[in-house]
Amino acid sequence: MKGFSTKAIHGVPIKKDAHNALRIPVYDSVAFEYDTSRDIQLAFEGKKPAHTYSRISNPTVEDFEQRIRLLSDSQAVLAVSSGMAAISNLILTLAGSGANIITSKHIFGNTLSLFERTLKPWGLNIKYVPMTDPIKVEEAIDKETRLIFLENITNPQLEICDVKKISQVAKQHEIPLVADCTLTTPFIFKSKDFGVDVEILSSTKYISGGASTVGGLIIDNGTYDWGKLPKLTEMSKKVGPFALIATLRREVYRNMGACLSPHNAYMQTLGLETLSLRVEKSCSNSLRIAKFLENNKKVNHVNYPGLESSPFHDVARQQFGHYFGGILTFELKNQEACYQFMDALVTIRRATNINDNKTLVIHPYSTIFSEYSAEKREDLGVHENTIRLSVGIEDVEDLINDLKRGLETI
Amino acid sequence: MKIEVNGETQTIEDNTTVTALLKSNGVNVPAMVSVQLNGSILQSVEFESREVKEGDALEFLYFVGGGAA
Repeated sequence: MKGFSTKAIHGVPIKKDAHNALRIPVYDSVAFEYDTSRDIQLAFEGKKPAHTYSRISNPTVEDFEQRIRLLSDSQAVLAVSSGMAAISNLILTLAGSGANIITSKHIFGNTLSLFERTLKPWGLNIKYVPMTDPIKVEEAIDKETRLIFLENITNPQLEICDVKKISQVAKQHEIPLVADCTLTTPFIFKSKDFGVDVEILSSTKYISGGASTVGGLIIDNGTYDWGKLPKLTEMSKKVGPFALIATLRREVYRNMGACLSPHNAYMQTLGLETLSLRVEKSCSNSLRIAKFLENNKKVNHVNYPGLESSPFHDVARQQFGHYFGGILTFELKNQEACYQFMDALVTIRRATNINDNKTLVIHPYSTIFSEYSAEKREDLGVHENTIRLSVGIEDVEDLINDLKRGLETI
Repeated sequence: MKIEVNGETQTIEDNTTVTALLKSNGVNVPAMVSVQLNGSILQSVEFESREVKEGDALEFLYFVGGGAA
């Protein structure tokens, strides 16, 4: 199997279903039984390829993980309950009190909140630098740095850094590079080829196939020697390249309890099978809409990496080929105009999600980033006159007609 | 010949590779398993070519999907 969709649809045959079901069913069972005490002992010790308890592993979830592993050509994958669970579980595994991580302040609002309001009080230091400037990233590294964290398309600023250049800095200093690639998925962006050591995905978005279920993924590309990281040195001696996934599965993820439900894994596996079709349509719709908005006099500015006017167009083309994602932002006169425009939309829904089948609109300033002061929001690149559009897979003419309707009201 | 897998003696045929041994132990995706051979970690790229020898002691550990602690 070579093609993305073929792999997504057929996956990896781990074990034939007991009833020859062609699709791995939802194993809605908390526990798994054993014939002998010795067998359950071996399963607990990790010496038997078997499940014991669904907070730790489950056949339906395992099937989903193995498909992702195949699609990302990675070492190991852990499916978790949300994208935020993926980030928090990973950082708790790699860093701790007194250590620091390097990231950009231009990241998803809840990720920023996790760093600032949840992890910082526990003693983790966060260093913010522009990820578009590898020199600044390098200058921020010190002996307590445990990872570099970036979004390969930032949300909602839509900044795109040169991932290979950041990777070179990370490798030079033997620090793992973690990238949230939710807006691209492995269909658009092969993170391993760009030097990313661990990829994070919110599978709630494109992968779930229509915003059906919440989920997240931690993908270890197998490119970093975990023995170099203080918290994983001992585990690395025991299990070598599996040190990250072993520490997660047997400790942090197990103890934090952020497991993906079998039902969600089933839905997301189903979504995965049509991922390429939906991403292609969402991206082509986005480019058409971005061009339409760019030519409308009521729109001050359009931000979409697919537009040649974007300062990130060239780096986006290098990294993503001819797919530029399904998110764009644009600016109107002021916040009131944004509300007026949004309230007039009929086909496009007002909701806080991205990469749904439906096109969704939101005013990030008054919603996702509302917990921050006006000055902080401006500093984060979130402006009061900016609208974010997550473009779905509807007929693009209907979407443009809806946008026209909204723009006529302002 | 006799070898040891996870502390238990197994009898296998000569020229058995690590991949074949994993499959006979119920593993369909060898890339998901950590293997220690006589106390040293064996890289997964060696599974296909490495043949198990008389008296070898192997530890298979499952971290991807299966095992629990």
